[in-house]
Amino acid sequence: MTTIRPSGSAPTGSVRLDEAAVLAELTGMIGQVLDGYELDDTEITMETRFGRDLELESIDLVTLAGLLQDRYGSTVNFAEFVASMELEEIIGLSVGRLVEHVCLCLKAEGRD
Amino acid sequence: MAIVDTGDVGLHVQRLTGARPTAHGVRAAAPDATVVLLHGLLTDSLASYYFTVAPAFAAAGLDVVMYDHRGHGRSGRPERGYTLGAFVDDLDALLDRLGIRNPVHLVGNSYGGTVAFDYALRRPERVAAMVVIESEPATPSWAVKIAGLLERVRHEMSVNEDAALDWIAAHHGGHTARLAKSAGRLVRDTTLAADIPASAVLDDDDVRAIRCPVLALYGADSDLAAQAPRMRSLLPHCATESFPGHRHSVLVEAPGRVRDLVLDWVGRHPRPAGDRAVQVR
Repeated sequence: MTTIRPSGSAPTGSVRLDEAAVLAELTGMIGQVLDGYELDDTEITMETRFGRDLELESIDLVTLAGLLQDRYGSTVNFAEFVASMELEEIIGLSVGRLVEHVCLCLKAEGRD
Repeated sequence: MAIVDTGDVGLHVQRLTGARPTAHGVRAAAPDATVVLLHGLLTDSLASYYFTVAPAFAAAGLDVVMYDHRGHGRSGRPERGYTLGAFVDDLDALLDRLGIRNPVHLVGNSYGGTVAFDYALRRPERVAAMVVIESEPATPSWAVKIAGLLERVRHEMSVNEDAALDWIAAHHGGHTARLAKSAGRLVRDTTLAADIPASAVLDDDDVRAIRCPVLALYGADSDLAAQAPRMRSLLPHCATESFPGHRHSVLVEAPGRVRDLVLDWVGRHPRPAGDRAVQVR
């Protein structure tokens, strides 16, 4: 199951409330992945990219996937989300793409 | 994040058991088959499997074990202790700690395959079959080649790291440059670059003694591709496949074909012949 979405994600300023909540949670998880200190001066938005902006390595995204699973259980399957993507594409993902995916999964589960 | 302490080092392990029953209630691959995925040196980690073939293996009904080698990814980084034997010990200890008693299928990418060859020779009873991707056993010529490679990396990342990283970023992208920076720390801060070339090597008789079925995958344009006929003649049970238009990065560049070949190989070699008799009681 892969949902194809436009890569642009939501424009700044029009982040929906549920997305804002998920973005806040993801920001916390990214902080954990980076051990906190590296995020001091970086505001994470829907447009922030894992590789280019946060300098995450692929192994960091594995850790993030684990944190997503701890938080949302099997409702959100990161590995499945990225299954059809190439490694470079995954590294190039924006935080917004993942937020949208999490929101869709939660909605599908009826937990929205 | 699961860290398994082998007693010597903490290894970061990811295990996927995403087996889903099909419409007929049966799983696609041999039940209880465990596949252990071994990544390569320096810039590699279990992520190279996690984001390519691993989910498909789990979906096919396999028990998938991935881990970061010592010094790599999120595993522990001891200052010393990086001979090939140490990596092989890690695999053995990990299977013990995870309680995996049935023979496993090993998939090794690059140096991960070198670990797999050594393990299959040392613990034949624990290996059902293996697939090696752009890899070779730890022969004397391998040791010379890897010594040169590691020394070059150590030198470039010690003498002028910034220039080296800029070049890598320009030619291979920012992500590869970040991986190279981590690799630079590994070769500077540990004895890896000296230890690996000093590993015990295998002679032809050792390679002939690796009895498990081996499928060896090569990028057609890689230096290793020329080894295919030699592997088929030395190994008692070996098949090879070539990936036209590819060099060393077969796993991440052609994951679909790697996935299909591995699943086929695993399905054809459920467990070693000698083990079947034990199963009939």
